[in-house]
Amino acid sequence: MKPISRRKFIKDTAIAGSLLFLPGLEASMSLDSKQSSNYFLKEFGIDEALCQKLLAKALSKGGDFADLYFEYSVSNYLGLEDAKVNQSYGDISLGVGIRTVKGDRIGYGFTQVLTPESMLSAASTASTLCNLNASPVSKTFQKLKTADYYHVPPEFNGIPAKEKLPLLQTVNQKCFSLSPEVVKVIAGFSNQVKRIMIVSSDGIIAEDLIPSGFLAASVVAERNGKREQASWNLGGRRDFSFYTDKVITEIADKAVNNALTLFEANQPPAGEMPVVLGPGITGILLHEAIGHGMEADFNRKKISTYTSMIGKKVAEPFITIVDDGTNMNLAGSINVDDEGIPGKKTILVENGILTSYIHDKISAKHYGVEPTGNGRRQDFQNYPIPRMRNTFMLAGSANPDDVIREAGNGIYIEDVSNGQVKIGEGDFAFYVSKGRLIENGKLTSPIKDVNIMGNGPKMLTNITMVANDLDMYYGGAGQCGKNGQGVPVSFGLPTCLVKSLTVGGTQQKGGQS
Amino acid sequence: MNNQSSQKEFQELANWTLDQAKKAGANDSRVNISRRRFVEINYRDRSPEVIKEATTQGLYLEVFINNRFAGKSTPDFRKSTMTGFITELIDNARIMEEDPFRTLPDPKYYAGRTETDLQLADPSQSGLTPEKRHEMVKEVENACLKKGGSRVISVEAGEYDETYEEYVKSSNGFVGANQTTQCWTGASMTAQDEGERRPAGYHWVGSRYRSDLPDLDEVGNTAAVRTLDLLGGKKIASEILPIIIENRITPNVLGGLLNPMSGRSIQQKRSFLSDKKGELLGSKLLTVQDDPFLLRGLGSNYYDGDGFPTKKRELITNGTLNDFLIDWYYSRKLGWEPTSGSTTNIIIPSGNRSLETIIKDLGRCILITEFIGGNSNSTTGDFSVGIIGKLFDKGQFVQNIAEMNIADNHLKFWKKLVEVANDPWEYSQFRIPSLVFDGVMVAGI
Repeated sequence: MKPISRRKFIKDTAIAGSLLFLPGLEASMSLDSKQSSNYFLKEFGIDEALCQKLLAKALSKGGDFADLYFEYSVSNYLGLEDAKVNQSYGDISLGVGIRTVKGDRIGYGFTQVLTPESMLSAASTASTLCNLNASPVSKTFQKLKTADYYHVPPEFNGIPAKEKLPLLQTVNQKCFSLSPEVVKVIAGFSNQVKRIMIVSSDGIIAEDLIPSGFLAASVVAERNGKREQASWNLGGRRDFSFYTDKVITEIADKAVNNALTLFEANQPPAGEMPVVLGPGITGILLHEAIGHGMEADFNRKKISTYTSMIGKKVAEPFITIVDDGTNMNLAGSINVDDEGIPGKKTILVENGILTSYIHDKISAKHYGVEPTGNGRRQDFQNYPIPRMRNTFMLAGSANPDDVIREAGNGIYIEDVSNGQVKIGEGDFAFYVSKGRLIENGKLTSPIKDVNIMGNGPKMLTNITMVANDLDMYYGGAGQCGKNGQGVPVSFGLPTCLVKSLTVGGTQQKGGQS
Repeated sequence: MNNQSSQKEFQELANWTLDQAKKAGANDSRVNISRRRFVEINYRDRSPEVIKEATTQGLYLEVFINNRFAGKSTPDFRKSTMTGFITELIDNARIMEEDPFRTLPDPKYYAGRTETDLQLADPSQSGLTPEKRHEMVKEVENACLKKGGSRVISVEAGEYDETYEEYVKSSNGFVGANQTTQCWTGASMTAQDEGERRPAGYHWVGSRYRSDLPDLDEVGNTAAVRTLDLLGGKKIASEILPIIIENRITPNVLGGLLNPMSGRSIQQKRSFLSDKKGELLGSKLLTVQDDPFLLRGLGSNYYDGDGFPTKKRELITNGTLNDFLIDWYYSRKLGWEPTSGSTTNIIIPSGNRSLETIIKDLGRCILITEFIGGNSNSTTGDFSVGIIGKLFDKGQFVQNIAEMNIADNHLKFWKKLVEVANDPWEYSQFRIPSLVFDGVMVAGI
């Protein structure tokens, strides 16, 4: 059991010692095309009458509503080590989660066995939340029409292992060809195809076929007896056509060049200083420092630092922050959330004013607003909670070079690996795996392996410049953890200047050790 | 389903699965079948917030065909679907590249398993009724609310218990079976601080036997005290001073030393420890034991992931690195003897003095009670992590600390270990006391 007050983000290119990639599996059962619906009816005989019966059982002791979340997913991981593609791992997940909701309270049961008896037993577990008269279930069900933010071809059944194998070999060869200092390469291809169906007692049925995955390289380079390690990945909600030679080259280039740069890098001085966040992956800071505090479950429980901030100024007027489920192919994009609400774009902060929290159905009802389509869950074994999707800050008007010049003396962050926030305090930390010192307004020597500390609300008010170069994180390995549940997310940021953050180096400012 | 009938079902399924894998073309195979039954109850503000209960099961099969390997898991035990599952796994293995090191372990390493009953399953757990669970949570919650008083914004209290059983069999003679239980309880509290700050603290404890849990009133009380201890947390100027890492969070830092000991890290050149065997890594006070035989221990086990019998060992003795964590596959790649790639209960032997006494003697120091974020580079040994804690001067509390950071390299950091307290944390597989380090850069303003 873990305490609930902290949320973590771990990017798969983390430098920590253990393996960089999630294990996965090879497809075992073919999945229907996205366009053909009624998958669970066809494969498992789950019809409307049975759903109605299950929902009636879940609401047999009362409740505001109940829902069913059916899932069939196949995950695969193919790995290369020492120039051999010698690892194939797979996992099949199949089951239904049944939820009864009364006010802010949840009863939850699930089963991996899709027989009526087993599912009724799970529904009965969920129903124990209440002790009232039975609540009604809609007599009819309406199929939700959703947009398509993934472009999965009709025949998509996952990517066969034999297609992925040469890709991994190419990544390996490219990494070694880029530098004689490269001594080890690990390459991995993770992917998942998930089929879901949500049936709600208010009469909505939603189905989706969700692809996700990434191709990654992690290299070790050696120079004069010193070793450095770096990784890169690209992916998201994509099919095999994404993984072109250009993509493979980018992954290899980034991983190798990052590792080689680290030979020149040192930990920076410790203490408070201006910090410039480079574009793209540094959006993790937005996710950690600000996004989590805006998740509505924390706010309805009054345990977030943003609890009483709706409608108030939280940033300078040139700052607008968005959480968006509708970006094409990004890791956090969703056609429909895990409660049956269509994917949406939600403006959290508009011109410096906090305009919306990130809602699931429970919090939306609590606040009397429309759900924002952020009710997400790791799998059928977990109930949905408000989660971010793709979170980013809109571009500003400054030139990126001017932002660096304005910082004077501080640090510039290029790559980060993981972060964490304490919701109630707003205090956060994130780990810089690569960056540069800023001296007299110019980028100078590289830095590495340093933690940045700060307070989210304070940091947001301390962003004094935003550049015109918004970029997104296009990796597929980003996982956000909350309440023990991991979900894929992405984020983005233009270059921006934070007036002051604490940098956790090993030397005091001025070089005194 | 009781334990006996599960084990019989598992045995029959394991035998059938290995037989089918062989018929489908596997030279060797290993299967792990498991089932977990759990209940989770959370209360918030005196009402049940979440009630969750379920049974999960899984079958994980690994196949080896002429030094080609694949592994896969499924929750579906029906033989009608298992046949296709096995065939596809075999097909996956066939297209892998040949790797001479990919084999099941030499069976000679399976011998020598302890016959001691490690007491990993609480026979009274099955008697835990829904009413008892609710009573446990209410007691913890009440104590937390009472102690938290007017500062409380919200309290969440909970109980989680599980029964887990597994059966493992390989085609070359390994058979293992195990049943374990766990019971956890605790509370998280959020308190009102200055302005919009709402610090959240927690106290969760768990054990194999419910009777080993501490007094529930004390659990809730401690959760409140630990939350109130966070009020007014602020950073101070960057400074070099002694730090104490509280017992329960020591694994966060020790992990940075243990991960690079793995065979994979060493063989893949991602370990700053690969050439350090026999060398001094830390002060003489640093001794790290791995003990699988602690009765009722959360990390205790009879066999490891390769099927090797677990053994008590000392990874670091008086600061000197003795042993690595080498599993079967990487032992073959390295050409070394396997030592077991996994750890069980990690123990640092206790010192003689209490935390309070040590703080009185240290002068100006920071007691770190939580880490936030951070990472450790297994290739270089560099680490950097955020800290939360309390500043003391000659035993007197000065202020709570937040938004600060420590950074160092493991090869320097552990040499700064100057004392080990007498308070090992009991509710984890890491039984480590609070650790005192001298001369650490703490970054703040």
